[in-house]
Amino acid sequence: MRLSDHDKALLAGDQGRAAQLAMEALVQLGEAYDAPDMVDIGYAHVHAGMALYKGDVELIEATAEQGARMVVPVSTNIANADMGDWHSTGAPDSLGQLQKRAEAAHRAMGSATSFTCTPYWAGHWPTWNMHIASIESGVTVFANSVLGARANRDGFFAVYAGMTGRYPRFGLHLNANRQATHRVRVTAPPRGTADFTALGYAIGTAVRNGVPLITGLPFRPGLDDLDALGVGMATSGGVAMFILPGVTPPYDSDADAAGLPEVAIAEADLQQVFDGFCTGDETGFDLVHLGCPHASFEEMKHYAALFAGRRIAEGVEVWVTTNRVVRQMARDAGLLAPLLAAGAKVVSDTCPISCHFARTCSPDASLGVTPPKIRTILVDSAKQAHYVRDMIQCPTLFTSSERAVESAISGRFVPRARQND
Amino acid sequence: MTETGWKARGVVKGMAEGPALISQTALSFLGDLDIRSGRVVGRSSDLCGEVVTGRVLVLPETRGSAGAWRFLYQLKVHETHPAALVLRELPDPSVTQGAFLAEVPIVVVADTGFWQAVTPGDRLRVDAVAGRVTRV
Repeated sequence: MRLSDHDKALLAGDQGRAAQLAMEALVQLGEAYDAPDMVDIGYAHVHAGMALYKGDVELIEATAEQGARMVVPVSTNIANADMGDWHSTGAPDSLGQLQKRAEAAHRAMGSATSFTCTPYWAGHWPTWNMHIASIESGVTVFANSVLGARANRDGFFAVYAGMTGRYPRFGLHLNANRQATHRVRVTAPPRGTADFTALGYAIGTAVRNGVPLITGLPFRPGLDDLDALGVGMATSGGVAMFILPGVTPPYDSDADAAGLPEVAIAEADLQQVFDGFCTGDETGFDLVHLGCPHASFEEMKHYAALFAGRRIAEGVEVWVTTNRVVRQMARDAGLLAPLLAAGAKVVSDTCPISCHFARTCSPDASLGVTPPKIRTILVDSAKQAHYVRDMIQCPTLFTSSERAVESAISGRFVPRARQND
Repeated sequence: MTETGWKARGVVKGMAEGPALISQTALSFLGDLDIRSGRVVGRSSDLCGEVVTGRVLVLPETRGSAGAWRFLYQLKVHETHPAALVLRELPDPSVTQGAFLAEVPIVVVADTGFWQAVTPGDRLRVDAVAGRVTRV
């Protein structure tokens, strides 16, 4: 692997022990994938340090204590508790306080402490051809497919990329891998973000780790739709990039993928994703979750309008999850008031699958964390549904955003409208 | 018994030895494994019920989430990690990054002879530095 003089200086320890270890790790990663050299990155979305995982906050603290400093703009991924108000979600003080230690470590390193799966809604908006590193698969797919930036599905090493400004040139950093592997023909016109998560989920199931080129959408999807589409396929498959001609840089609207394996997605395939995640009791749900991935300002407007002047049914809890920045904008715009008046909770930094509801984590016993008993969680996202099933391990109900709100108000599940309804 | 060896591509460097645990299905480190016990709990895996701890995990491929690294690393934190991974396909960068942190060697073996010959419980020595898997 060819290393620049700067890379070699980092390896020699000229910028301190933390940067030296980071560069050693990045060189190993590059060698594993036969990377010819390293690229400069313009941005990194990195691990939060998760209080529900043994030794995980300590891992971030140790990195900060070694003297790590971020040399490019860095945002932090979703965390295990709302650091502004963990009581509202029933998290114990021990958990909230441990999570706050990760926040302090990130501030010492110079990360923007956004703690979200949608840093783009908080202003982190990498541009065409910018190499970036990202720990969140939803950020990876949005960056590659909507913004034209270049990202792999990274893990912890996104921290190392942020500390060094470097990343090995492999995977989706190479043009050769930013080409379609499948041609997907969509005949079901999706309506709303829940549909787009289901469409993405169906595509990811079909193409697995491929790069689907998507045809047949009757309109240009909005930013929230594109976000939902990407996270759906990053959840069911290992998709890191889709190509939507006319949207994905640099693919023009006449781009096609003739001759590649064809996948057809019809209305029945969308409905099947919804049906597959309707395993819970239609009158026995205790939590309605909205905002997966973390809601944009536009989605907050939508939720606020749906709840305005209404009251959530007895025995039902509603969480609207978004990031800190959007939450502040929503507060300033008067959008939190109708949600709170209806009885909903607005939660930042975390979400049901990322908080102490998860059963797949293993917190230090001294934290005293016990996952609550939950009968069923009702959601408006295929991503949340998938991970509720795998991580909280309880039944789900899945419908459109509008009908999820109707369900919360009435206490009775309102399924998604079929296309011919 | 004579030793049989196959060429392997070292992805995460290191050496390890242990009994083979062989799957025909893709494994997701997020969701399919209980980090406290090292037990496979994912029903879509043909290893459901098996324990990966100390085993050489022989898989066609890894699947799914970018959170894979965290679960692989957590297996190490809980001392329930596998000895090594032998894969047919290059893993997601997230899996590789987790294996680096957990110091679990990974090799990719392309030789179809290996995939035909290996049987459950075979004692495998994985040398990801020299690039070799040996049945001992």
